[in-house]
Amino acid sequence: MEILQIDQLSKSYGRIKAIDRLSLTVNKGEVYGILGPNGSGKTTTLGTILGILHRDSGSYRWFEGQHDPKPLLQVGALLETPNFYPYLDAERNLDIIAHIKRIDDPNIDEVLELVNLAHRRKSSFRTYSFGMKQRLAIGAAMIGNPEVLIFDEPTNGLDPQGIAEVRETILRIADMGKTIIMASHILDEVEKVCSHAAIIKNGHLLAAGTVGAIINQDIMVDLISPDNERLLQILQQHLQLTLVDRQDTMITIQVTEDTDPAHINQIAFDNGLMLSHLVARKKSLEAEFLELTSQAS
Amino acid sequence: MYHLLKLEWLKLKNHRISQILIFIYLIALPSLLLIGKSFDEIPEDLFSKDMFFMFPAVWQYLGYVGNWLTFFVFGFIAVLTITNEYHNKTLRQNVITGLSRREYFLSKTLFIVMMSLLATAYFVIWALLFGATHTETIYMSKVTQYAGLIPRYFLMVCSYMTIGFFISTIVRRTGISLFLYLAWAFFIERILRYAMHYQLLEGKSIHFYPINATSDLVPFNTPLNKMAEGFMKENNFSIFLSPTEAVITTTVYLLLFLWLTHQMLQKRDL
Repeated sequence: MEILQIDQLSKSYGRIKAIDRLSLTVNKGEVYGILGPNGSGKTTTLGTILGILHRDSGSYRWFEGQHDPKPLLQVGALLETPNFYPYLDAERNLDIIAHIKRIDDPNIDEVLELVNLAHRRKSSFRTYSFGMKQRLAIGAAMIGNPEVLIFDEPTNGLDPQGIAEVRETILRIADMGKTIIMASHILDEVEKVCSHAAIIKNGHLLAAGTVGAIINQDIMVDLISPDNERLLQILQQHLQLTLVDRQDTMITIQVTEDTDPAHINQIAFDNGLMLSHLVARKKSLEAEFLELTSQAS
Repeated sequence: MYHLLKLEWLKLKNHRISQILIFIYLIALPSLLLIGKSFDEIPEDLFSKDMFFMFPAVWQYLGYVGNWLTFFVFGFIAVLTITNEYHNKTLRQNVITGLSRREYFLSKTLFIVMMSLLATAYFVIWALLFGATHTETIYMSKVTQYAGLIPRYFLMVCSYMTIGFFISTIVRRTGISLFLYLAWAFFIERILRYAMHYQLLEGKSIHFYPINATSDLVPFNTPLNKMAEGFMKENNFSIFLSPTEAVITTTVYLLLFLWLTHQMLQKRDL
């Protein structure tokens, strides 16, 4: 089932086009990453589909229209900062969420356990540390066990342990078969957590699909030999490759996924060239991401 | 409807400043009138100190105390609870959670109606208590002589709170909203009235302004200023709107402010 369909959505703030004819589809069970640098329109996109921002044109549809007119009751969301009533404790804040979602018997205990805040349930929200606030927000999104969860930069501002905990929590939620839409500017996070991704920049969609397809699996190989130029000529006769980088002593080439690095060594050796350095690595997402986003500018 | 009222109750339950303000109203409404007991010299027209507490005058005196108190207490509660929703970004969160903008508007409107009902009920209870304990011979006709004050008191609280709701929705900041609420009542509206109408004693239109009409719903129209009224009558001028005029004027402004607030909430990005 299509959980969310966005069609040609546009939104501008004055002259600035925050999102420009953006289209994407999220299907049930996907962990969908919206990846883009800061200011690329991720939060604006989420704000629009969550009803707090008005769109200029285009449309979006939740659950193929099945839960209209109030689809958001089936969605749990954390957008930007955690927003709660500072004078109320965790329990009462979650009560309000449950009340709005019209859940009679909310899973408040379970949620507080999940985000590890059960021991502070009676403390008012204003006494929480930032990490705790963020965790409560994730917990709040889980109230009523919604089918779909939206997390906007969920690890922003957390310490490394907090980041690990949040990622683990998200993966656990994904394992329950829930659909997750997550915005992030951190590639590593999207790669670790998501099954699908869309890359946006300046409000434009640059690429969308499975993480594997977007982020191609080519291998980068760093090589050092006495004669790099000849090595390159020889390898080109045997392999499909592109030269990525040429430094004083080292060249970096990109080869397809099924290439065995040992095979490269073999070719060089057979042609009388001894390699003093051979390192094969997956093409870094960082590089891929920068490549994709810089192409568009 | 119950669902939205309950939501407001969940939000208000531990809101300390609102609790303190309500507490002030509960204490001050009867005790401010009781100060009347300590007056040493009473103007001749009043006959006795107990005049303040006897039917039917108690309605007017207590109403006048309530007029000032509700302006501060319930107006402030409206401003504080509504600007809070912006300051804490909880309105935004409410909408993300699934509350529609219309529901938010309705919940705040219902909150205003409910608070006004309770404030009015409390006013009625004390008026009846004071009247019953201080009037020697109680005639039903005297008790109910000013019964029209009860719905007008209710409308007055609704109006003060709606003005607070309106200002807070425009401004969104707590401090500036409170300042504007007070400034509107004490300066802006007065300056506007006199600037627009130069001549104080000519034309009634000078009275048809929101805060003025609201405060005229429960005027201090007691023997104390009957004398002044006499002078005003000679000059064909009244310092107050008639109850009917006040009710109509206030209702029109109240509906206008609610409508504008609703439009703002619908159209704006949160």
